Amino acid sequence: MMNPVFILSACAISPQLSFDVDKFLNPIITTDDGKLFAAEPDYRQFINPVAIRRMSRQLKMGIACGMRALQLADVSMPDSIITGTGLGSMTDMEHFLKDMITLEEEALNPTFFIQSTYNSVNGWLALQTKSTGYNQTYVHRGFSIELSLLDAQMFLNETPTSKIALVGSFDELTNDYFVVKSKCDYWKESVPNSLKLLSYNHTDGTIAGEGAAFFALTNKPKPLSCALLGLKLLNLPSSYDFTQEIQEFLSQHGVDLKDIDVAILGKNGDASFEYLYDPVVAAFDVETNVLAFKHLTGEYPTASGFALWIAVQLRHWNQIPEPLILKSGTRPKRNILVINHYILHTASLMLLHQQ
Amino acid sequence: MEDLKLKLKQQIIESLNLQGMEPKDIDDNAPLFGEGLGLDSIDSLELMVLLERNYGIKIEDAREGRKVLSSVQSMAEYIQQNKKA
Repeated sequence: MMNPVFILSACAISPQLSFDVDKFLNPIITTDDGKLFAAEPDYRQFINPVAIRRMSRQLKMGIACGMRALQLADVSMPDSIITGTGLGSMTDMEHFLKDMITLEEEALNPTFFIQSTYNSVNGWLALQTKSTGYNQTYVHRGFSIELSLLDAQMFLNETPTSKIALVGSFDELTNDYFVVKSKCDYWKESVPNSLKLLSYNHTDGTIAGEGAAFFALTNKPKPLSCALLGLKLLNLPSSYDFTQEIQEFLSQHGVDLKDIDVAILGKNGDASFEYLYDPVVAAFDVETNVLAFKHLTGEYPTASGFALWIAVQLRHWNQIPEPLILKSGTRPKRNILVINHYILHTASLMLLHQQ
Repeated sequence: MEDLKLKLKQQIIESLNLQGMEPKDIDDNAPLFGEGLGLDSIDSLELMVLLERNYGIKIEDAREGRKVLSSVQSMAEYIQQNKKA
């Protein structure tokens, strides 16, 4: 089993005002049209002003989020940059494909092509930080950020010397993507208030979202850092006893379901997936804090990055924001379990411990 | 010629997303790359696409391209001499 890694800093750009470190999900942003777009910060202090004019929203979100995570960790040059994206750069890809059709494959703009590649964010982060180390982008739908974290854990376990890995995720929502996935029944027909999403759990579908989340990880424990003890990827979780799998994962780390202080669930209001979470919640201690977050972010392949961001924030704030709470408990906030299920039948578990 | 240069400046601003700039901010003879507007190699590709898409002009020779794209004035002159559409 691998040694834990330690999260020095976390930054999230999401539909909530999460970029602002002075507040913790206050106020709450809602939508009534089933689409939660990110609240974007002022990018100019994090991105080369000459290059910014060419960048898509996703590129700006990813770069600014990564640079901010480094800034919060007081790191100027990471030893590696490892990211995950489920969709890649949708806006640039859509532009490019539309141009291919309308212009009959003649005189296509190079920018859309160049920046639609999945590793554009990593490339820019490497250029801006002058990092020539290991640089990788995972594109595996609902497992993208999990694979990035796993790779970072392996990278940091490889050496006894102190290393920093910048790990992150980014996915953007576009109106065209929303329409296409509507045809696959991804979304609920109507959610008049996104904050109430989880109460619409008698119907199929969810709401759409987007966001970026970045973390500075190290292999050496630091005071007040949050330890990522382990993570597990589960394909087709409906085909076996999900609760049993979680129990086994926890026992590998010497923890029981009853030891979990805070559980952060990726419930998205879709009636089809409620059955996965219910037995797990029933197995927790009655004083376990149970949280959910997708009514604040919407669903997207790397949404678990936002859950990880919440886990890190719990260290800084005494009070858990009310909108996150499904069930309030009295336990301290030390053992944190993130359980996320993505639409395409993939699930992940992350076990964290606040130092 | 003056109309063409004005139109070209508008197209450059739009194509390269030069936020906050107006045609009057671009000097006819100022270098587009390096100093002046400070454009880079990706911008040069975008300007080639602009010429092809709007004026039917395809520049195959890189050396010629560098000369043509050196300023708004040189671009306008080249368009006047070679415009197809």
